[in-house]
Amino acid sequence: MKNTIDAKYYDGKSSVSQIATVVFDDTINELQFQITGGISLCWHLKDLQFERYGGLLEVRNINFPGAILKIENVYFSEKFYVAMKKNKRVDIHTRLLILGLAKISAIAVFLLSLIVLAYFYLLPRISDKTAELLPESFDKLIGNTFMKTFIRENDIDTAKTRYLKQFAGQLDLKNKNPLRFTVVKSKEVNAFALPNGQIILFSAILENMESYEELVALLGHEASHVNYRHSIKMLCRNLAGYMIVSLIFSDANSVMASLADNAQQLNSLSYSRSFEQEADEKGLDILMHNNINPNGMVKLFEQLEKRNKTSIPKMISSHPLTKERIDNMKKIISETVYKVNSNDKLSSIFNTLKTK
Amino acid sequence: MENLISQNTNQTKNYCFEFFGKGSEYFTIMIVNMLLTVITLGLYYPWARAKVLRYIYGQTALNNERFHFAGTGKEIFIGFIKVILFYIALMIAYGLISFVSPLLAVLFIYLAIFALIPFAIHGSLRYKMSRTSYRGIRFGYRGDRNELLKYFFKWMFFTIITFGIYSAWLQMNLRRYTHQNIRYGDVEFSNNANGGAWFLLNLKGYLLTIITFGIYSFWWQSEIFAYYINNMKMTKGEQNIKFNSTATGSGFFGLLFVNLLIVVFTLGIGVAWANIRTQKFILDNIKMEGDINIDDIHQTEEEYKNAFGEDAVDFFDIDLV
Repeated sequence: MKNTIDAKYYDGKSSVSQIATVVFDDTINELQFQITGGISLCWHLKDLQFERYGGLLEVRNINFPGAILKIENVYFSEKFYVAMKKNKRVDIHTRLLILGLAKISAIAVFLLSLIVLAYFYLLPRISDKTAELLPESFDKLIGNTFMKTFIRENDIDTAKTRYLKQFAGQLDLKNKNPLRFTVVKSKEVNAFALPNGQIILFSAILENMESYEELVALLGHEASHVNYRHSIKMLCRNLAGYMIVSLIFSDANSVMASLADNAQQLNSLSYSRSFEQEADEKGLDILMHNNINPNGMVKLFEQLEKRNKTSIPKMISSHPLTKERIDNMKKIISETVYKVNSNDKLSSIFNTLKTK
Repeated sequence: MENLISQNTNQTKNYCFEFFGKGSEYFTIMIVNMLLTVITLGLYYPWARAKVLRYIYGQTALNNERFHFAGTGKEIFIGFIKVILFYIALMIAYGLISFVSPLLAVLFIYLAIFALIPFAIHGSLRYKMSRTSYRGIRFGYRGDRNELLKYFFKWMFFTIITFGIYSAWLQMNLRRYTHQNIRYGDVEFSNNANGGAWFLLNLKGYLLTIITFGIYSFWWQSEIFAYYINNMKMTKGEQNIKFNSTATGSGFFGLLFVNLLIVVFTLGIGVAWANIRTQKFILDNIKMEGDINIDDIHQTEEEYKNAFGEDAVDFFDIDLV
């Protein structure tokens, strides 16, 4: 059907506003108009771009740079929009925008919750699979790089390191790849494992150990981190997590961005908790596998928890020693049948290690 | 019609800036942008940027006629790709030079970034101005890149040897140079800012802000705004338009304090409303006075395509333009 309506026209040559009469025929997709006291023009919908401001319609033609046809009529504007849509001249952004704030927000909330679900349930699985696909040479590379700087900045206790190696040599830590052991001189109560199989103990953590079972428990725990490639899995999860977070919030403001950042950190902390739990359980398994009293793990935790009050609580912050973890250990021990042989050789190496 | 206009030439005209944008509309645009950006794994970003600019320009009106931003996502996307390629080339060069001497490589990077600033200013202005129009008449930037480069290095040199004091002059010289090269059809822009006044204004603002524990910062802000606006001028032959700021310190306080409350209490979601308030405040506080007939401006600026500068500014986040 045809519509005739008054409009304003700018010709793109001067800023003077001219009056025009527009005829819009949506059956042939043309906008014809006659400028008052001037020429007639015919614009094809396929050449047109438009902006709508309420009932005001501004139409521009790619073949007439600068020219604008302005029509102020709600009915006309709506009709024109439908015709443009039919001609596939309306982009996805404009189509979404026309749905209005309520619907758009609903879609956004829906999509966001899908992403959040994926973030919590799918992401750990996918990134663990990615970690499995990464070659072990990658673990070595990362571990070696870290170790190089670490050694430069720390003092290795060679005597203790030698005895620790002997001690570990007596155990089956269920490792597929060789493990290396190092003791560094430090007042910090801490220990950690690198993905290349390097296990580092800070000398202070040894000081308060009363029995070799505790040391086996610690080694079992750290060896399990290596055996199950926790660092690499963690790296993959964090990378993937940050990618998702930055994708959603890259364009957002700093308040939202920092909120998202903190959420990611919290989430990464919960990953690390789940890895700690796995290392506890697999470490306990190693104790039992070596016929060593699994209560060594409980003793280790209790002893570290006590020291939490007196010394630098580094170990606690990176390996949160909650009551929960101790209870979990006690529960598993009570449910499992295990055999304990006293091990004189370990005991004697342990004593030498402590006195050196 | 031509005769009718020439009769009016020496009369003072009325000009009225308005901003029609609404927080809810702007917020909807931002949500749609976020949706599309997430779905396309970030690729939509340049198109999102174009949409935001088009909205802001389209809601800005002078005498009830709206401005128009004609830039497209595709242009900004191409600009973005160019910036990335340039960045890669720079990094490769850095890597190669650092084989010879790491110190030389660092020096090279600093020099390259310094050299990039005038390029970015030039490119960004050329792109943005050419994409801006009002009543079908395009804006344009006619500055000469090599000239700007020469000036910029000269001013930069003075800034370094005066331990930064000359930066006030650098900023205002840049402003003068760039503004005097802006055209709106056959209307020329100019700027009367000078480094000395700018330096004193900021020195006073800085000292008073310290003495008043920050309270004066809003009045400082209004003086900065006024200095930017009041030194601007448009000329067309014998006719001209002068700009005046009506913003006050308490006005700025109201704007920024309420914006802060909006953003904090909505956990950032209200930033759309805060941005709209800012835009409205700025336009409400610019008054124009003069006798240029805005019905009688003629198209002079050619069409221009290159989004390189537009994104170089975004990429290196240089807030000079």
